Amino acid sequence: MSTIQARNDLGRAAFSTLAILVLAACGGGSSSSGGGLGSGDLLVGVIAPFTGADAGLGPAYYSACLAAAPSINSNGGVGGRQVKCQQFDTRGEPADAVPAANQMVASHSNLMAAVGCTSDEAATVAPIIDRAHIPMFCMTGQTEFNKTPLKYFHRLVPADIFDAYAMVGSALYGPGHAPYKRAALVFGNDIGSQAFVEPATNAFTKLGGTIAINQPINLTASSFRTEVAAMLQTHPDVIFTEALGAAGTYLGEVKTLNGGKMIPFIGTSATIDPTWFQQVKGAIGVDDLVNNYAGVDLGYSFSGPAYTEFLTNLNAASSQFADAPKYKQRGSTLHLYDGIIMTALAMTAANSSDPKVYNAKIKEIANGVSGAQVVNTYKDGVAALKAGKSIRFVGAGGENNFDQYNNSVSGYIMVKYDAQGNEVKVAQLTPDQTKKISDAGGL
Amino acid sequence: MSLFAAAFGFGLVSMSVIALAAVGFTMQFGITNMINLAYGEVMISSAYVAYYINRAGISIWIGMLAGAAFGAVFSFLLNRIVYAPFQRKGTSLLGMVIVSLAVSLMIANLLLPIVSYNSVSYHQSSGGLLRVGGIILTANQIVIIGVAVVVMLGIHGLLTYTRLGKAMRATAANPTLARNCGIPTKRVVDAVWLITGGLCGLAGVVAALNSDSFAIASGAGFLITALAAAVLGGAGQPYGAMIGAVIIGMVTELSAASFSPEYKDVVAFGILVLVMVLRPQGLLAKRGALAAAG
Repeated sequence: MSTIQARNDLGRAAFSTLAILVLAACGGGSSSSGGGLGSGDLLVGVIAPFTGADAGLGPAYYSACLAAAPSINSNGGVGGRQVKCQQFDTRGEPADAVPAANQMVASHSNLMAAVGCTSDEAATVAPIIDRAHIPMFCMTGQTEFNKTPLKYFHRLVPADIFDAYAMVGSALYGPGHAPYKRAALVFGNDIGSQAFVEPATNAFTKLGGTIAINQPINLTASSFRTEVAAMLQTHPDVIFTEALGAAGTYLGEVKTLNGGKMIPFIGTSATIDPTWFQQVKGAIGVDDLVNNYAGVDLGYSFSGPAYTEFLTNLNAASSQFADAPKYKQRGSTLHLYDGIIMTALAMTAANSSDPKVYNAKIKEIANGVSGAQVVNTYKDGVAALKAGKSIRFVGAGGENNFDQYNNSVSGYIMVKYDAQGNEVKVAQLTPDQTKKISDAGGL
Repeated sequence: MSLFAAAFGFGLVSMSVIALAAVGFTMQFGITNMINLAYGEVMISSAYVAYYINRAGISIWIGMLAGAAFGAVFSFLLNRIVYAPFQRKGTSLLGMVIVSLAVSLMIANLLLPIVSYNSVSYHQSSGGLLRVGGIILTANQIVIIGVAVVVMLGIHGLLTYTRLGKAMRATAANPTLARNCGIPTKRVVDAVWLITGGLCGLAGVVAALNSDSFAIASGAGFLITALAAAVLGGAGQPYGAMIGAVIIGMVTELSAASFSPEYKDVVAFGILVLVMVLRPQGLLAKRGALAAAG
């Protein structure tokens, strides 16, 4: 490579490679038909980000499956069939998620359900999974799924709009502080995080608050000093945030550039997560995290027979996945655990491994029908079904109430962390407060 | 405080971090003819070496040296065990890019079960704020800038005043002729991998320290920025990479102060594209590989 021309060619090659890298960075079938539960192992596909900026999400969902599988398998399986879990990495990017979803549905004829599908990829993978007639439980709050035509789609968490309203509620009515009036919105520039911005802005401003600054931040950036300096110049008294993967860096720089003093920050329910806790704790210290963080979450009891079995299995799953026990209070882990158990019960109730047959049963088992017996475990559910009874499954995450679009909505609580990273309930929005926010936000 | 003055100060830090990474990357290419896409993963591996040392209660500055040493040895072995055998077989430049991409993926996936996907931080106080005319820097950031300046001067001295540096330039210009002139090019290449690997490791620790919190996924971001600065300056040109680092570091921070921060990378890479359209060989390439050294 001694000539200038050759060097130019290499430069072009390097540039082409760079372009490819930048672009890359941005970057079915069911089992059997008809009656009978069939034979062979069943598979739950965990389709979620396991690498990339949102790599903390996939493990929470995988842990749910690892906990649910023994609940089913140690109680006879689904008609004798054992449930297995497999990861399908979407990297948190729609472009990577599509081949992952196609591979999942095309290569696994024993797929009984798919779980995960976060807001990063739900819009692209949900139609694929739906076309394959596979029931799915998606951890997306995107509004487009509020009235989805996808029959196999299920959502056990409220739409993001409710998360955003709960954050506004925490800012205005949360305990231990005067109502916050100036909010900085610091959300990742990914699809999932941006879904909170508009409803939070609408509700907060109509209730007298001011949005000091709205910063969509690049989750893959290695620093946000200029962004933080710009944010600090607006003098917010609270930060609303969901910037998974970048929260530690951003908040660490807030503390540094603000002279060692943190600004209170309110996170979405996705920030109730051990990975997020560790990341932010490492950046700002546990005291500042505990004292300045407020979060919103669905009201979990973390008790009862369903939760006890969930916790036992989750701890036992550490032999397969060491981090599994960390997710004992992760709402999405609880919900997806319930979703998998409900699917297994639906298959048993329908006596079919054909999702076209058992899909409708999932809603029936979640909501219950008149006179249904409430069950909390797979074992009790199977026993009740064998006794000819209808059942309603109330699982580790509590009751579910699916609407006609298979969206299950429940109420929010305000929470914080203790020094060990456990969720602590601090207050609950009253019905009156909830109505005020919903009206202001335009529900 | 003036946001632009502050952004200028932050730009100094960013360009220092980028320069450390980009100079090593571009020297690797300029002398060994290898576009090493595993560079970002070696950076993040070195950052984790420093992290584990730091977690054991040892100063991060010691960890930084350990990270640099690890990067040097790791890169040297990578070349000896993987890249050199392929090059001896006459694998094309594009083929070597694919090989390095595969190595990058392998490192990332081998590292994942060891370090997990969690973000981690060094135990290191940022050391208080220094405010000068609207510029705000922490003590750590001043050290980072200082390290970058010292290393850049060191690279200049190496290439300009030492026999090894002259041998490197001769090898880069024409390895066959250099060999025929009695230069032990194989040993020169080994030295290049050790030196650039050390820069890579150092850059990884500095980038992680600068970032407050880092994770295994950070490696890809490190690579893209380093590669962009190297290409902007002219492939294989250490001085070009320094200029590329200055431009990209400054533009990203100043554009974040001027526009919505989500567009800061768009602006920086837009400039890169523009330069490549107007001057495909990069800013300094016309003088040949490493020629600017003297």
